[in-house]
Amino acid sequence: MLNLICCELIKLKRSKMIPISIIGVLSTPLLLLLEAVQTHFDKPGLAFTLSDIYKSSVLYSMLLTNMMIYVAITAFLFSREYSENTLKTIIPIPISRSRLLIGKFCALLLWILALNFVTWAGIFIVCGLYHVVFTLEKYSFPAAIVWLPTYLLGGILMFLTISPFAFAAEKTKGFVAPVIGSAVIVMGSAALANHDWGVFYPWTAIFFLVQGKINSSGYSTALSVIIILLVSAAGFILTFYHLKTEDLK
Amino acid sequence: MNYIIETDHLTKRYGATAVVDQVNFHVPKGKVYGLLGRNGAGKTTAMKMMLQLVFPTDGSILLFGKDCRDNAAAIYKNIGSIIETPGFYGNLTGEENLEIMARLRGQFCKNAVPNALEIVGLNQEKRKIFSNYSLGMKQRLGIAAAIMHKPKLLILDEPINGLDPIGICEIRTFLSKLSRDNGTTIFISSHVLSEIEQIADIIGVMHQGRLIEEVDMAELRNRSRTYTEFDLSDGQMAAIIIKSSYPGTDYTIQNNTLKVYGPSPVIGEMNRNFALNGLLVTRINPREENLEEYFSKLIGGGGIA
Repeated sequence: MLNLICCELIKLKRSKMIPISIIGVLSTPLLLLLEAVQTHFDKPGLAFTLSDIYKSSVLYSMLLTNMMIYVAITAFLFSREYSENTLKTIIPIPISRSRLLIGKFCALLLWILALNFVTWAGIFIVCGLYHVVFTLEKYSFPAAIVWLPTYLLGGILMFLTISPFAFAAEKTKGFVAPVIGSAVIVMGSAALANHDWGVFYPWTAIFFLVQGKINSSGYSTALSVIIILLVSAAGFILTFYHLKTEDLK
Repeated sequence: MNYIIETDHLTKRYGATAVVDQVNFHVPKGKVYGLLGRNGAGKTTAMKMMLQLVFPTDGSILLFGKDCRDNAAAIYKNIGSIIETPGFYGNLTGEENLEIMARLRGQFCKNAVPNALEIVGLNQEKRKIFSNYSLGMKQRLGIAAAIMHKPKLLILDEPINGLDPIGICEIRTFLSKLSRDNGTTIFISSHVLSEIEQIADIIGVMHQGRLIEEVDMAELRNRSRTYTEFDLSDGQMAAIIIKSSYPGTDYTIQNNTLKVYGPSPVIGEMNRNFALNGLLVTRINPREENLEEYFSKLIGGGGIA
């Protein structure tokens, strides 16, 4: 299995998706920097800490920007075997279709976690720049590291809810359907981010879970977790079933 | 006979259409089996079924004497393949692509990749990105991937597509050598009849999903040669005359029809000799039939391609 994951990572060598995805997730720290600078000039008396910035960043990273980027990289990972006609080269090697998908999902998880780490690190760095110029209260590495598990947990939850897009990419053999789908779910997430019903919407439920907002909504944490797991299971089952039974014409 | 590939009523249907219809292939060990047929005849689908890319609707496939669905890992490690234009990762070099194949196969040998690249003449281009390859180079890399692990069976669908004449000749020579020296069994399809003719030991012809002919190449050459056909009153007597008067003549007799193969300057004399021996010759017909004409007739005209 390690070999399969290794091969999936080698396949990404020189891939433009790597720098594109890194630039994409760095938009969150940059947006936060702009917001912080704007707040500094508009409300000079308002004090905010590094932790406040990380708290705000969860909305951007879990609900908006990062989610769209993760759907795009999922579509890339799962559709490229069709677009580059490589399945007919690697399946007869032989590679079990299930193992191939497991390798891809593992690579996707690693990529998502790495990008969440980049987002977390990016925020720490841009806040450092802000701190040098304007001074940011409670700016320290220990204050930042507290948020790293939140980011990694968010990454795992985002990975779970992304599995239906793997199926969409596999089924349509391209980028278009998953990317349109991601726009739809992001719009839904934006609409439900401040609404208690967000706990029923798996992609918003992630945000509620990592922010610890579920209890204040009046619903149980288990409910959101079950919804996320059901969506995830459906995505995984459909993806595996489709490739296992598909004729590669 | 020891068959490396044997199919039993292999069938693939899409809806009501049978793309491959009850096909029984018999590919003996160490032989080169050339599969011919027009576009859409079902050649690629049949090969894809052998490689588990397409699932058969009916029938079975035995590879190395075993059902290909059982113990696939052990069976397919001994197979190399190319299906249509080979697919590789465009952002990687030829060398990196082959390394991935070797790693996935679990038979990563340090020299396997450079050796395979050298065989197909890509050793000077190993650092070139695959997306910058020409069609011929892509095809060569596909061949390198297929032979890299020294398989006992090669399943090659149109492997010479896109190759220049020198490249075609090199690959043909290499495949012949593999079969002759290593005993590799090769199942190869092509539209280029002359290429198949030069390399194959056995020919299979598919048409509209069916295998309509499976014949030894030597027999096929007999069928395809220039010959003169005599219709006579007594075939046995004609055979005695030929044996005694024209020793070394290549001929066959079926009922009272004599076929004398090859260009013969003594046809007229032979006819006179038959007449002098009391045989009635009712028809003399010089025939010349090349392989392409033979297949055109077999599949209903219009050529193979």
